[in-house]
Amino acid sequence: MSSPDPLAREGAGESPTIPLLKLVNVWKRFGDGPSQVTAVSNVDLQIQPGEFITLIGPSGCGKSTLFNMIGGLLPADDDGSILMNGEPQKDGELLGKVSFMPQRDLLFPWRNVVDNAILALEIEGVSKKEAREKALAMLPDFGLKGFEKHYPHQLSGGMRQRVALMRTFLFERDLILLDEPFGALDALTRAMMQRWLLDIWQRYKRTVLFITHDLDEAIFLGDKVVVMSARPGTIKLQETIDLPRPREASVVTSEAFISVKRRLLEAVEEESMKTFGSDDPAS
Amino acid sequence: MRPQPGSPWRAVALPLGTILGMAVAWEVVARGADISAHIFPPLSVVLAEGWRVGPTLARSVLRTFIETGLGFILGAAFGILCGVAFALVRPLERALFPLFVVSQTIPVVAFGALVIIWFGNTILSKVVIAFYLTFFPVTVNTHSGMLAVDPQKIELMRAFGASASQIFWKLRFPAALPTIAVALRLGVSLSLIGAIVGEWFGDTVGLGVMLIQAMYTESVPRLWALIITCGLLGASLYAVIAVIERRVVWWRTDA
Repeated sequence: MSSPDPLAREGAGESPTIPLLKLVNVWKRFGDGPSQVTAVSNVDLQIQPGEFITLIGPSGCGKSTLFNMIGGLLPADDDGSILMNGEPQKDGELLGKVSFMPQRDLLFPWRNVVDNAILALEIEGVSKKEAREKALAMLPDFGLKGFEKHYPHQLSGGMRQRVALMRTFLFERDLILLDEPFGALDALTRAMMQRWLLDIWQRYKRTVLFITHDLDEAIFLGDKVVVMSARPGTIKLQETIDLPRPREASVVTSEAFISVKRRLLEAVEEESMKTFGSDDPAS
Repeated sequence: MRPQPGSPWRAVALPLGTILGMAVAWEVVARGADISAHIFPPLSVVLAEGWRVGPTLARSVLRTFIETGLGFILGAAFGILCGVAFALVRPLERALFPLFVVSQTIPVVAFGALVIIWFGNTILSKVVIAFYLTFFPVTVNTHSGMLAVDPQKIELMRAFGASASQIFWKLRFPAALPTIAVALRLGVSLSLIGAIVGEWFGDTVGLGVMLIQAMYTESVPRLWALIITCGLLGASLYAVIAVIERRVVWWRTDA
């Protein structure tokens, strides 16, 4: 490759395709002088098209800060760069390029299921009629058939989360960012939603970056698990998960799963203990 | 069918029963006790007096209603505009909001005379006073409603690439509506007070005019008839706003 960009050449050496998203030495510091807090330090990460990457780390490790930077909501410090399809992205340029779903469902109480789901399409300028048709066609896949006219307060937590996910999927961007989408759900609903998400992901063929603080979830979902260190958050290790797909619920009891988990658990525990031991209130 | 607790029928029946009971008690007490009818006339006398001055009363109600309605609509519109402007342009808020607060500490009676001199003895001067009482609560609530929008929802819209005007129309404004509605209910009552007080400064028709006349002639039954009329007008206006509110802003704010 004759690209003058050394970063692109380095990427080409590792993988045959240009990564959909590439983070090179990304930092984020808040404040100045002695009170400065480094939230994210020296993050290098590549996401190939179609990959499902899970990111795990102790609470307060800067996962969400990293997410906001990838979503374009927060400018990264000048040290490094964020590249999308090989193109460096300036401040604010990522807004509208990534399909973003925060932890909370953030549904608008005055909009019904369909109208909540089409929010991003409306912002894009798609006509309401066309957007609603798209949403209605997607409802069965998201287990919301028959609920199109329901309002958020009439739905269970799992359903609300599915509406939020539908809103994310309807915003057709190559990269989907999910920030602990199942964090608030009970264990049973959560396991069901994980399997369902994998199914949806394979059907819609999107690239997903998924934040979680649950190691089982990270291994079960991911092609690759990325472990972040305690604050200042940096990438501690990356582990490719070779478990065959489609993954059944029983995969979590398989020998392969257990051995990966054993390896990752040590790293995750070590970082969690650091957070536990520190008296940093900003977590 | 027997009405169930909490049914719409019961919701109406209970307050209606209370009112009826109070009316009966009024009549009985006023007739039975040794109180001069001049001080405390029985309800029947009050109603008869109201009926006697019926045509004048009807014209006065219409006039006061128009003043209240105009003052309220203008005050609400101005209040919403100011609240929005203050929420979106913080320097504007810092420059003007204290002035708004000070303006409200001046009793409306104090500058009522000035309004009459400026706008003449017309319907306009009453509308101005009603407006003056309405705009402030609406401004305050619009402002705080706009600022109370979940910042994460704003971030979500930004991440979807929303423009500032899209964020305003699709999120900020609808999110502030429940808070604005509370101020509108308060505002319509204040607007009625404004109109009545405005009429005290001089006019020929209106509930305020009739109140002043009844006071000077010491016609206590007339005063009571007017008090009840004002109450009915105020309650009706409040009910209209509450019904509209329930239709437009039906969702729970916490959802």
